[in-house]
Amino acid sequence: MPSFKVDVIIENKPEISDPEGDTILNDLILKKRDTPVKKVRSAKMLKFEVEAKNQKLAEKIVMELCNEFRIYNPLVSKVSVESFDA
Amino acid sequence: MMSLTPQEHAFLEKKIGRKPTPVELQIVAAEWSEHCSYKSSKKHLKLLPREGTRIISGPGYDSGVLDVGDGYVITVHIESHNHPSAVEPYGGAATGVGGVIRDILSTGTRPIAILDGLRFGDIEKDPHARWLFKNAVRGIADYGNCLGIPTVGGEIEFDKCFTNYALVGVAAIGFGKKDKLIKNRADKDDFVVLIGGSTGRDGIGGSQFASDKLESENRSAVQIPDPFIEKLVIEAILEARNQHCIKALKDLGGGGLSCAVSEIADVLSVGIEMDVARIHKRESSMSPTELMVSESQERMLVITDRQKLPILKKICEKFRVPYSVIGRIKEDRMMQVKVETNTIANLPNSVIANAPLLDRSSSKPKYLKKIEEIKKPNTPKVLTETLLRMLANPNIASKIWVYSQYDHEVGIRTVVKPGHDASVLRLDNGKFLSVKIDGNSKHCYINPRQGAMGCFEEACRNVVCTGATPIGMVDHLQFGNPEDPEIFWTFKESLEGISELAKYLEIPCVGGKVSFYNETNNGPIKPTPLIGVLGLIVKKPLYPQKVSKNDLLVIVGETKDELGGSEYYEYIHDIIGGNCPTVDMKSSKLNQQIVLDLINQDLVNSAHDCSKGGIGVAISELCITNNVGCVISIDKIPAKKFKPDVILFSETHSRYLLVIDPKNINKTKSILEQSNAPFAIIGKFSGTGIMFRNKAKTIANLSIDKALGKWLNSLELLVTHG
Repeated sequence: MPSFKVDVIIENKPEISDPEGDTILNDLILKKRDTPVKKVRSAKMLKFEVEAKNQKLAEKIVMELCNEFRIYNPLVSKVSVESFDA
Repeated sequence: MMSLTPQEHAFLEKKIGRKPTPVELQIVAAEWSEHCSYKSSKKHLKLLPREGTRIISGPGYDSGVLDVGDGYVITVHIESHNHPSAVEPYGGAATGVGGVIRDILSTGTRPIAILDGLRFGDIEKDPHARWLFKNAVRGIADYGNCLGIPTVGGEIEFDKCFTNYALVGVAAIGFGKKDKLIKNRADKDDFVVLIGGSTGRDGIGGSQFASDKLESENRSAVQIPDPFIEKLVIEAILEARNQHCIKALKDLGGGGLSCAVSEIADVLSVGIEMDVARIHKRESSMSPTELMVSESQERMLVITDRQKLPILKKICEKFRVPYSVIGRIKEDRMMQVKVETNTIANLPNSVIANAPLLDRSSSKPKYLKKIEEIKKPNTPKVLTETLLRMLANPNIASKIWVYSQYDHEVGIRTVVKPGHDASVLRLDNGKFLSVKIDGNSKHCYINPRQGAMGCFEEACRNVVCTGATPIGMVDHLQFGNPEDPEIFWTFKESLEGISELAKYLEIPCVGGKVSFYNETNNGPIKPTPLIGVLGLIVKKPLYPQKVSKNDLLVIVGETKDELGGSEYYEYIHDIIGGNCPTVDMKSSKLNQQIVLDLINQDLVNSAHDCSKGGIGVAISELCITNNVGCVISIDKIPAKKFKPDVILFSETHSRYLLVIDPKNINKTKSILEQSNAPFAIIGKFSGTGIMFRNKAKTIANLSIDKALGKWLNSLELLVTHG
């Protein structure tokens, strides 16, 4: 069975503020420095390695796990999945 | 977006003599929501005694202020964030902490401690309840820990009535110098400055949302916590206070700017003219109404004069806290809202800030008629297994999984730490403050009046066990929909009970909050008043000392057959009903006094109150935390002739367990005998087993190791492994 790397990224929805990202921007990047950085958003990433028939199925297995364990709140978080051949 | 009832609409039009503009309507709807206006409860809250020699009252204080001598004051406030926590437990609980802290800050005192009272569904069976519980605790911990304010205590209860819901009540304590309290005044042409986080669309309609039943389509009011900016706001405000830049101060909570501006103007008898275009905002496309009612967190409203405004700006810049000068004070007592030069709302403050109060009807709930009639369960022959199950019950098991996530030491004031009866904080004047909040939804369901009095009595007992004299209380009354006469009856009963006991014990109410519309898909929550009690220790607190072999166990107070609403009935036998414990006010006062007297005479090594789970649990906890066994003769416990399970698990109030060194026992006995309080020496500590004996017969025998394992680990196992 082929193996896939599946990354799950959990972040606040775009319309919801992100104090952690803002604090990094304001307190670390903008502080007394000229910088081209305009925005920082924080996120949590979980990296899985999954055996599955195909890539799509690998993503499905991981998303089902994430939903079952309620690792995010659908009201607040945006969840995206990326996968690669392991 | 938000709405008034047809009657309120008519009342408003009559008051202002014209049709309100759409913006005006939204401002009024926010302020007249139940959450902000207390329109159902205000008339009744007058019952609570608010006078006392220590109470300092000032115009517009959002928290209670108590004089603790030597030029120092304590401030206290309690609030909840139930609806937001039920949809987003992490953010809801965290912003709940933030809101209460700003109430403390608004008097000009530094927040020094947080306590929280939590309610969730049955976490043993319901994974959603576990998810809510885990994330609410994490939210409280993250927010408090980031701010460097210790979370020193609280209480938690799990009950099926909170399925798919959560109650997150937070109390905060502040400490400061009396002469630095904000005096709250304003003069013509003073400036109105909005300080803190930017205004966004988060939490729009929150106060209205909190005043509606929780319905799935209504779940947009999510608030995002930002403890980093809150910390900066705290420091900036306290420095501005030190530099006399603050004439008046108000935090922004439910109803956002509409409520904060109209309330402060009303209290100070002035008018405010403000320009919404000047507000620093997160999103450029926000409408004036959205800006007025947004409940974005971490914001404060400051009134300052022309001379101090440049200093205030400098302080904000130093702490890099965003601010905007949004308005000026006028003399006409009107709240005038403009977009640049265009007036979009112009209303008398007195109209906005004073919603028409309601006379809600009340009637005794039908369920109460038969609640006391139950078939009593058979007494198990051996109670060892029952006792072990009681210790593993999430409502009784150690809450160490919760409080170990909280930094309870930061600030180095916490001298008696969580896990004991009440927590004790060191104050700068050499005195100590003892604090505890208590609630008991199961008792309050069976008897709203006695249940509420019991929560109050329990908080007093806990504070007394640290050697503190209660000096003030706060009440947080959480109920279902007040439009239901049966629910409103339970509210009134609870309030009357609390008022009666407060008057009798001469403990003034220094603040509180009412939270209605706590409804789940299965109906209203059980009545859940939370009572916080503050106690003052002048000399030194009773640091619980390690129990030694041969120390004696004394009980003060009589045990009655009061198992209604007890953990024994509900958790072991699945019975909801029976006689709930009642508070005998005379015994309550007497027993508090006598226990304090014994502690002050240095006769007590350790004191522990009997509450959830009764004597059986309270004694087991003493043994477990001290790693020493005890042989207890239950036949000696002051009580009428009851079955052993009644003696062991009845949750009768006003009972204290005292650990006494044998060399002090005679003196203790003679003092107790003179007091006429019922008491008995019921056990002796030794060995490695907790053994309850009824005359010659052993009715329960439990090894410390086994009891410890269950009591200490059950909650964590449940949360981490389901």
